[in-house]
Amino acid sequence: MTAGETAPGLSGQRDVLDGPFTTRQLLRLDEAMRLADSSTGLTFSVYVGDLEEPTRSYAEKLHSQLVTPPTSVLIAVSPNQRVLEIVTGPDARRRLPDRTSKLAALSMAAAFGGGDLAGGIISGLAQLADHAGRQ
Amino acid sequence: MSIIETTLIFAGSPAAVILLVAGAVYAGGSRRSKRYRPGRPFEFTPVWFLAAPEQVAEVAGRSELTAATRPALTGAEADKEWPAEAQVHEHATGGASDRW
Repeated sequence: MTAGETAPGLSGQRDVLDGPFTTRQLLRLDEAMRLADSSTGLTFSVYVGDLEEPTRSYAEKLHSQLVTPPTSVLIAVSPNQRVLEIVTGPDARRRLPDRTSKLAALSMAAAFGGGDLAGGIISGLAQLADHAGRQ
Repeated sequence: MSIIETTLIFAGSPAAVILLVAGAVYAGGSRRSKRYRPGRPFEFTPVWFLAAPEQVAEVAGRSELTAATRPALTGAEADKEWPAEAQVHEHATGGASDRW
């Protein structure tokens, strides 16, 4: 369900459960990501944790570690730094212009400002997937 | 009613209710809250989600993304993906940033 942060196995799952999300939120997040991936054909991934400064280039580095960076979209959220970065690969960018990403980022940041991490991520994913359209 | 009965009813029972509620509050509070609150420190393990975990196999095989080992993710292998500076500009990534 989740890439978690570790190789498949119990320890990885436990780490994810130690994260900021409840089981119910994790399930909703998983559903949202699966829907976004299957409807658009792009690869969406969500990182929640601290980003090294400068946050933008660190987020781009994380993005480049995905298997297919050109068609991947990374949503990196750092609650401590109160920073949100959306990184789209060159191919994904054609379907998700920066303006669209900014719009999703605005609505996500509004939800995060209210303390709703999971809700913000899920609505942002839905918004991005909607704009990217069908594959 | 005797004085003892009166005291028990009018002072004893409210006190019992107050103790019960206070007990319930503190029992629940000892558990770590899972909620993120803006402005409060966020002390959770970093997590990275993908719909299809095998897509990040490369990363998963490389190292755990815990706070202690996280720098390993930005090691040499990461830079190999897009080696040339010119190439990076040619295939520039897009996106957006925001703060809250």
